[in-house]
Amino acid sequence: MEITINSSLCYGCKTCQLVCSFHHTGAFWPSKSSINVFRNPQDGIVEWSINSTCDGCKSEDTPLCIRYCVYGALNLFKEEKKEKKL
Amino acid sequence: MIKEGSINGCLAGKILRINLSNKKIWSEPTAKYAEETLGGRGINSLIMINEIKVGTKWNDPKNLLCFGAGSLVGTVAPGACRVDVSTINVFSGGKGSANIGGFWGPELKYAGFDNIIIEGKSENPIYLYINDSDIEIRDANLIWGKTIFETENILHQELSDREIKIASIGPAGENRVRGSAIIIDTAKAAGGSGVGCVMGDKKLKAIVVRGHGKINVAEPKRFMREVTKCYRQYKNEPNVIMMRKAPFNKYSNPDYEGWNTNMVVRNGQDDYWEKEKRIELMNIKTGVPSMQKETRACYLCPIGCMPFMEINKGKYKGTKGEGFWINTIMGNACRFDISDPKEVIKSWSLTNELGLDSDYVAAGLSWVFELYERGIITKKDTDGLELTWGNGDSLNKLIIKLASREGIGNLLADGMIEAAKKIGHNSEYYLIQVKGQPSIEPFRIPKGWSLAVSTSPIAGRHLRGATMGSNTCGPRPRPGNFNVIDYNNQVKGVIWQGKTKELEDNLGICNYVATWMGANFLTLDNFVELINSGMGISLTKEELMEHYAAIGRNLEKAFNTLHTNMSREDDIPPKRFREEEVKSGHYKGFKIDENKYNEMLDEFYELWGWDKKTGKQTKIGLERLGLKKIARKISKYGKLII
Repeated sequence: MEITINSSLCYGCKTCQLVCSFHHTGAFWPSKSSINVFRNPQDGIVEWSINSTCDGCKSEDTPLCIRYCVYGALNLFKEEKKEKKL
Repeated sequence: MIKEGSINGCLAGKILRINLSNKKIWSEPTAKYAEETLGGRGINSLIMINEIKVGTKWNDPKNLLCFGAGSLVGTVAPGACRVDVSTINVFSGGKGSANIGGFWGPELKYAGFDNIIIEGKSENPIYLYINDSDIEIRDANLIWGKTIFETENILHQELSDREIKIASIGPAGENRVRGSAIIIDTAKAAGGSGVGCVMGDKKLKAIVVRGHGKINVAEPKRFMREVTKCYRQYKNEPNVIMMRKAPFNKYSNPDYEGWNTNMVVRNGQDDYWEKEKRIELMNIKTGVPSMQKETRACYLCPIGCMPFMEINKGKYKGTKGEGFWINTIMGNACRFDISDPKEVIKSWSLTNELGLDSDYVAAGLSWVFELYERGIITKKDTDGLELTWGNGDSLNKLIIKLASREGIGNLLADGMIEAAKKIGHNSEYYLIQVKGQPSIEPFRIPKGWSLAVSTSPIAGRHLRGATMGSNTCGPRPRPGNFNVIDYNNQVKGVIWQGKTKELEDNLGICNYVATWMGANFLTLDNFVELINSGMGISLTKEELMEHYAAIGRNLEKAFNTLHTNMSREDDIPPKRFREEEVKSGHYKGFKIDENKYNEMLDEFYELWGWDKKTGKQTKIGLERLGLKKIARKISKYGKLII
């Protein structure tokens, strides 16, 4: 299972980054997040990355980053789906 | 009420204090101020009224420049990113305040600070670099004189960190142009009150912040339950899609009612803009919307209201930036009668790059255009510019002159009232201003809006209770009349909208995300639960509205009473709108009916508990809010109504 982003839907609000840090630490601590969202306001570019500390929010029904993304930019990409496609 | 020592969440904990004259840096705990005001703007207002001596002017070293991230900023509460910037208003001499979104405020909280209070003046240009608890005052020679874009690029290179967040001034602020803004993330402006002018006067070019810390909440599970509830409200709210690109979704329709009620045309000669011009400006295929590249959101925003614009062809090719807004249509287009979309986008972009307040540019320079039309000034006075209605090229050249104090720009940079005194010929009559600050607001048609703008303690701006926005969506949680053109029963709505804005500025919640549009996004119930679970306190809705919101408004009012001679006469709309009728369109013949306006004003004072005759605060009213010390101070100057 992996989390994927549709960058054309991302507005760069960084909610995913902050809720991820809450999952890991119980506090709002963006530098401890598995996700990093970088916004360049001069050219409108948003860069989204996820690092190896992501545990897919095992204790939750849905990963928090996906649950709180109101723009629908984040999704779960399941391996079995990938196999079927192949 | 909040008990002493009871707050145990949401706050970063410290207020950073810096004296630029002697380079002294220290901090103090936030809690005692937050207990009294909730946070954000409230703290700024309280410190200003406690510490700025009567008689201090905006350019006195003892004037304070205060930045305050609201108490919920740094948590994941929706729209919690706002920062209040307060100082002495360069136009009125009273309370100045401007509010700003983006990413700077949360970064400040993660660096460990809720507010920054700056006093003194530097001898040389400097900038502040706040990297968690490391605070440096750095030489700004490399960035002094640069535009906002250039400044941000140089600082990113100099500090080798692309995650820094920057609040800076442009050449306008450096040159102490009165209507200068402080800009965050290249495009988000703390515009009003001349806050950028004060920053420039202190020779402070920028405040750079970088934070790696955290914000705790008192009851994390309970807090997140409420946050989840709030996010569900956005997901279920159909109006979110309309609000996402509101300038385009609404104003690309030339029959949208806002075109009829909100626009002030040719510096107030009319309040109706012809349909063919609306179409030329906002046509989806060829107008402003056709030059939108993306839409962007501020930190934690579930709406995402900011179009990112880019011009790909013609003489303005390469112009780009985020944040084109409805005010740009009201100000840069209608006030100058400019319907060429590229000229309007360029003037908006220039305003940001040079660090100007767009309302000052729109209301101030459209006045200059009218003086030109009337022959009060000529080409000789304008350095050869033809300031004819619709002439975007001349507007853009005039904006550059204003920011750089070149030629006629120097005359206009010290404020339009000062300029009017020099120009003479009854020119001040045509200047649309409230309490000294040029204002782009509509007065003749929407009556609640007119009352809110005229009574605003920060001088002629709508975010102290204007109600028209809250008519846009339903359900409608506020009291008062929803028919904007009617005088009856407007006041309760204005007070409700004003009080919720007080809370939003203290909590750092975006007004647009919360109560502005009247949709059921964030309600007072949400505020109460977020504050109580986040800060570890127990407040009721009534306490929020009747005590904390009332304190916020009364602190700004008291500052004005102490530092100026404002009275009831200063809460009346501009003379032009009381004398001249709307000339065309749906509301032809409308003007302010002074008797009916004064009836609204009587009711407004009565409901706030202020004296009807003078508009001033009363001893009993201030003491009821626990502001005895402030009542004594006002009494000392003979301005308290007993």
